[in-house]
Amino acid sequence: MKFKTAIIALFISVFGLSSLSTFAADVVKVRTYSDLKSLDPAFSGGVFDEEIHGLIYSKLIQFKPGREWGYNLDAAESIEQTSPTTIDFKLKEGIMFTNGFGEMTAEDVKYSFERIVDSEVKSTNSPDWGPLKEVVVNSKYEGTIVFNEPYPPAWTIALPYIVGNIISKKAWESVDGKVGTTTPSVSGPYLLKEWQPKQKTIFVSNPDWHGGKSPLNEIHVIPIDDESTAQLAFEAGDIHYTRVPMSSVENLKASPPANSIIEEYPSLFYVWVGMNVENELLSNQNLRKAIQHAIDVPSIMQASYFGAAVPSTGIIAPGLVGHRSESLVAPEANIAKAKEYLVASGLSGDIRVTLDILNKTANVTTAQVIQANLAQVGITLDINLHESGAFWSLGDDTAGDRYKDIQLILNRYSMAPDPSYATAWFVTSQKGVWNWERFSDAAFDTLEVAAKSEVDNTKRGQMYQRMQDIMENSGAYRFITHEATPVIYSNSVNPGFRPDGLPLFRYFSNN
Amino acid sequence: MKGVIKKISSDPLGLIGLCLVTLMVISALGAPIFAPYDPIQLNIMERLQGPSVNHLLGTDQLGRDLFSRVLFGGQVALKVAFLTIGLALIVGIVLGLIAGYGPAWLDNSIMLLFDTIRSVPTIMLALAAVTVVGPSITTVIFVVAVSSIPNYGRIVRTQTLTIKSKDFVKAEKLMGASLLRILSIHLLPNILGPLLILASMDIPTVIALEAGLSFLGMGVKPPTPSWGSILNDGFSLIRNTPWPIIAGSIPLVLATLGFTFLGESLRDLLDPKLRKLL
Repeated sequence: MKFKTAIIALFISVFGLSSLSTFAADVVKVRTYSDLKSLDPAFSGGVFDEEIHGLIYSKLIQFKPGREWGYNLDAAESIEQTSPTTIDFKLKEGIMFTNGFGEMTAEDVKYSFERIVDSEVKSTNSPDWGPLKEVVVNSKYEGTIVFNEPYPPAWTIALPYIVGNIISKKAWESVDGKVGTTTPSVSGPYLLKEWQPKQKTIFVSNPDWHGGKSPLNEIHVIPIDDESTAQLAFEAGDIHYTRVPMSSVENLKASPPANSIIEEYPSLFYVWVGMNVENELLSNQNLRKAIQHAIDVPSIMQASYFGAAVPSTGIIAPGLVGHRSESLVAPEANIAKAKEYLVASGLSGDIRVTLDILNKTANVTTAQVIQANLAQVGITLDINLHESGAFWSLGDDTAGDRYKDIQLILNRYSMAPDPSYATAWFVTSQKGVWNWERFSDAAFDTLEVAAKSEVDNTKRGQMYQRMQDIMENSGAYRFITHEATPVIYSNSVNPGFRPDGLPLFRYFSNN
Repeated sequence: MKGVIKKISSDPLGLIGLCLVTLMVISALGAPIFAPYDPIQLNIMERLQGPSVNHLLGTDQLGRDLFSRVLFGGQVALKVAFLTIGLALIVGIVLGLIAGYGPAWLDNSIMLLFDTIRSVPTIMLALAAVTVVGPSITTVIFVVAVSSIPNYGRIVRTQTLTIKSKDFVKAEKLMGASLLRILSIHLLPNILGPLLILASMDIPTVIALEAGLSFLGMGVKPPTPSWGSILNDGFSLIRNTPWPIIAGSIPLVLATLGFTFLGESLRDLLDPKLRKLL
């Protein structure tokens, strides 16, 4: 009996204490969609790594949380575009790297940025720095970032993002530049305490952070791939924040879990139906335009996105330079016009086209709406479902001849907060790489090069708008949506999000 | 036939099985008559509705009537089941007879082929086939039939090896009977019974496999209704409505139970020795 009582007491104390620590006020648990891959900014795997880098490293500037794009100064005391090809910065004094690697200097900034574009380093993120030439060190704390040509995206996809993280030159050299899932030194608000592969990454407050006391004592970043599973974890109280599936928004709004807040942010992703202009049948522009006009985008919004997303006007999302307020082809289907184009195409009889899609529920639903839309104008659509590996090699012309068989394709690309990141994939040189429509337009290519280095935002915006007009006029694109980013978080947490809903964990604090 | 039905009906589980299978066959074949709606007709304004007088099982995310889709999904299930098992049975019988009656080297070669096929998981084979030729009902039939051939082939071979050494077969040979006569008159009728039992027991497995492949997107192409694709839609919408999952599951459960009960009853009927052993 005594033994039994002792076991029960032990059980209560162990589990009681562990649950107390789970819900300790200063430990915030957040969900990310993938596990840590690299703590070296040169080899960051993408958003999921950057969410962690943002916790432990400093940048000259950081994205400002809120509904509008902007930045806050971080390591920089001041930073300024001094000419179309130069940016001057001055570091705050006294920013310390951990593990005895000393104070952050302009030399560290030079090392951090230049190694990304160093061909010997072979950084997978080198395109983000564009035409970076060098970083000139003017004094211990001052430097000048020099570009070969004007590069406005530096302010949106370089300085406040993955390649803008500043690392310690001495620390990196001490490990011969080989940094994987441990890091020799950091300077951000948190320290990496422990990485448990596929389980969680634990961060604790950095007592030497130049920004003062970090908002939390401890933060756990938990990789959960599936959004529905993450939602379950949130509802069970295992995590304090997650993105949720769009299909859940309606229900969550109607009956939200206790002590939770749901917010919706517009996403930057873009979804569209592309048409292979080199395919024998789809080379007929009138047929492409018939398809453009036959697709009813609002129906797709209801069926696939549960009304949580809105139709897009192009590939550049609202809030970014170059966004179009309206598309040339209205989102609603115009069956009469589609039929006119079909007559003009000169095609008759049974017109059959194929639509290749990645096998995901939202895609299958979208495809079936399109199938029904096209049937209304007399076009039969066959839906080809593909698994991830097969789908992403479809348009690759080095992977065989399958790219020739593509007719319609439902696609979705990720995006950074600069318009150049969207248009870069549709130039002629991208045919057979990411340009699966095999779209080619000399004016588009010229504008793409010019817009990337245009420093006047008004002119730049007009250029990107014109480029989307060209894409749409070709008939090869039917723009669908930018989707949405619905997030849910506990009201015990005060989170920070980018305008596209991606989390900025360094700003997360307790309420 | 009347006798068979009477004997099956005398067994309660056999009767349930017979009723369920009959119900399934009638509802599938009569789907165009019984279905209140076109199973692929979209009506987005009525999406994700619960059961009502208008929609007995509710609607899916595209507003399609789930009851109509379940009925037409039965056509796909039966088509795949019967065509697959028929094809596997024919090829299995031919290869099994050749292996059992032919020379040792041919027997070994065919056995090696069967072992090779069996060593490849059906889902992997399906994935490979779908990647090469794309998902379709033909691909499903091909994949499942190829995976099932060794099951029938092995039984036919074993039975052939047993029977070919019997005195009556030896006597036929001595009397100069042709190979075709020996195989068709003496061997085949003797091995058909166990094969039919196996085939009837395999039907629910094939139906579940087709549903599984369609669930994974490797089966029939949208918008063709299949119980597996209804389940897949339901899985992703489980937080919005349970009805697609229920609509996809019920026929699968009933079909599996029905064919299993019927198969067991048939086995007892055709092979009473086995019943005694069990």
